[in-house]
Amino acid sequence: MERIVGIDLGTTNSLIAFIDGDAPRVIADPLTGEKLLPSIVSFLEDGSNVVGQEAKARATEHPLTTIHSVKRFMGLGMSHVSEEDRLRYRFVETQGSGDGIVRFTLLGKFLTPPEVSALILRELKARAEASLQEPIKKVVITVPAYFNDSQRPATKDAGRLAGLDVVRLVNEPTAASLAYGLDQKEEGLIAVYDLGGGTFDISLLRLHTGIFEVLATNGDTRLGGDDMDLRIAERFVFPLLPTELRQDAQILRAALQAAEQAKKALSEAEETQVVLDVPARNVRATCTLSRRELEAAVEDIVMRTLGPCRQALKDAGLEPRDIEAVVLVGGSTRMPLVRQRIGAFFGQTPLTDLNPDEVVALGAAVQADTLSGRRRDMLLLDVVPLALGIETMGGVMSRLIERNTTIPTSVKEMYTTAVDNQTAVDVHVLQGERELVQDCRSLARFKIPIEPQPAGVPRVEMTFMIDANGILNVTATDIRTGRERSVEVKPSYGLTDEEIERLLEESIDFAEDDVSKRLLIEARTEADTVLNATDKALQQNATFLLAGEDIFIRSAMQDLKRAYEGDDYNLIRDVTEKLSEATTPFAQRIMDASIQDALGHKRLSEI
Amino acid sequence: MSTVQEVRCWRCAHQHQAMLFCPACQAIQLVPPQADYFSVLGLPRHPALDEKLLARRYYELSRQLHPDLYQTGTPQEQEASLNNTALLNRAYRTLRDAVPRGQYWLELHGEQLGKENNRVPPKLAALVFAVHEQLEEASATRAAGKADEAQAELGHIREDLHAQLSQLRAELASNFSQWSENETQPGLLQALKTTLSALAYLHTLLRDVEKESEASWNV
Ligand SMILES: [Zn+2]
Repeated sequence: MERIVGIDLGTTNSLIAFIDGDAPRVIADPLTGEKLLPSIVSFLEDGSNVVGQEAKARATEHPLTTIHSVKRFMGLGMSHVSEEDRLRYRFVETQGSGDGIVRFTLLGKFLTPPEVSALILRELKARAEASLQEPIKKVVITVPAYFNDSQRPATKDAGRLAGLDVVRLVNEPTAASLAYGLDQKEEGLIAVYDLGGGTFDISLLRLHTGIFEVLATNGDTRLGGDDMDLRIAERFVFPLLPTELRQDAQILRAALQAAEQAKKALSEAEETQVVLDVPARNVRATCTLSRRELEAAVEDIVMRTLGPCRQALKDAGLEPRDIEAVVLVGGSTRMPLVRQRIGAFFGQTPLTDLNPDEVVALGAAVQADTLSGRRRDMLLLDVVPLALGIETMGGVMSRLIERNTTIPTSVKEMYTTAVDNQTAVDVHVLQGERELVQDCRSLARFKIPIEPQPAGVPRVEMTFMIDANGILNVTATDIRTGRERSVEVKPSYGLTDEEIERLLEESIDFAEDDVSKRLLIEARTEADTVLNATDKALQQNATFLLAGEDIFIRSAMQDLKRAYEGDDYNLIRDVTEKLSEATTPFAQRIMDASIQDALGHKRLSEI
Repeated sequence: MSTVQEVRCWRCAHQHQAMLFCPACQAIQLVPPQADYFSVLGLPRHPALDEKLLARRYYELSRQLHPDLYQTGTPQEQEASLNNTALLNRAYRTLRDAVPRGQYWLELHGEQLGKENNRVPPKLAALVFAVHEQLEEASATRAAGKADEAQAELGHIREDLHAQLSQLRAELASNFSQWSENETQPGLLQALKTTLSALAYLHTLLRDVEKESEASWNV
């Protein structure tokens, strides 16, 4: 029987686990003994990358080329990317009005979130192979229960790109319930409250005779510990800094890291120091933060989790007091405030005896064991988190499958034509709870070709099937001919099969030509940035120029503009570097002046 | 519709009466698409069903059919498992609650609720009028900033609606129990339709109350 391992691909940390004898166990890094792999990827000048702790160590120095929390970008289009994220990273802006998949610009490469996630998966795979001394091919990957049908295929794509066969996606809270239920031999109604780095899920389950039946699930795929870090940074760290530094990717990254450290410390201590230290930029600031101040600052974020809890209970027809056990999952549930609020909501002390960081990975390993055919005593019955429907006349969403429907599930819908001699029927698949198409997430659009006939004559039966991964598959049957065809669902914000094939080939044999083209675009983009910044500085801060410096800088700009016209990306890079050097003392004088100015009367241990 | 159909096993070609597993080779069989929900769950074709038995059958069948158990199986087994489980899930969801079960019973008899849904059922007219008036009051109370008072008013409306709901559900149960196994009774069918329309309307009213209630919470 081929081994299948379980992977928790988290926003902040990722883990890999397997069944050791009878019990699930997380595989540690053979060198460091660390079980958690920080979900961070850093890209190096030489085209290589590092993942995990090593990447984390590079984060402050190389903020634009070190990707944190890539999970928050899975299955999204550029229009969903926030202003904050645009400060943190560089993206390929989509041409014209099209709203394409998110692509990061990373040292001459344009990478989508599944490609970045694949690097994390590769690292986990290597870790497991080193530890188990056998090749790993088949995996179960967990996803937030509230992940939609654009985020789920993106996760599967990440697996494929890592050379893995993703046999199943399992919802994180459901996986956690497996680890919990088998451990405690529990029966009855349980709530799994899962607050991670970037996502929040609440799932209500009935456990009975080895069946783990999800009654309702709800959540928010953009709510988690990251939001708290940002809040702490905004509330307590940014006020210590001059305004222009708050827009700086390097400082922002360091501020978020300082915030995260303080938040963690305050789960144990009543008071801590927030320390922002960026020696490379000559910035250092500290302040004291108490647990009470922290709690006041993030209280509303914690309270935002109660709405989904209320909705899930309502959907399941339950009251908080019906719940017999509350299981906490995710690092953010270590916060005393979270435990206290959730305890108050459900009227009981939440269970904290399982390690909230590991429980999802352990559950994934248990489910992997069932799928490999080794285990037959338990069964998961999971649900779809959001309604699925199609666009109808007037921009209204017509629901085909309600939320909390047990999967797999299918529904049939008959289509015909409104106009004579129509040659195709357009289908627009949507997901969400709102009435109007514009308020729902677009999953896919496709055309079903039909024979031209008078209006209303063609009869095409569409079957929408949501499989055990929560992923949509569509087949169309022409009722008149009985001909069946499976419809290719082109994801609105995903990679096509061809793209994945191409990426897989490229990862084996990187075409030199392609790389040069990308490097040239990247070099020109960088040159543009430096030219514009210099231009602006010369206009606005001319008073800081030394005698003759002006001419010196302008000649360096001329050199760069000339190089820009050619297609030698190495030359463009060199000359860009020269211009940067030429302007460094000038920029330093501007920066020093503004720091003095802004920090002169602030709480600061040193500058 | 309920005549027993003969099908052939995809693996050993043994002929059987649309069983879930081939009696000869034990291979999982694709449930014929025309199978009704009662037969999928192995229950008598009757709207007044034993809900405990229904749940037990559902879990037993899930343990035999679920795709998790065929992950290492052949493509035919996986296809049969996926399709059968999807059908089983839909059948269970439809039959476990009396309202969708009633609607399905109508469908089995060639009837549908259809557009009549939007018209106010005559026997609910007085209630509908009163509820709309009360909802407006609650909305005004909320607008005046008295969210708690608005919630209390909504609570009363909810009670009234739930009382009516219980009454209609009792009507539904009594209708179900009057059906005899193998014949269509036009009078019963018409009465079923009327009760289901009233229930559907009541659910829309309840949704309106919930919408107003959510607005009050968010003040
Ligand atoms: Zn057979």
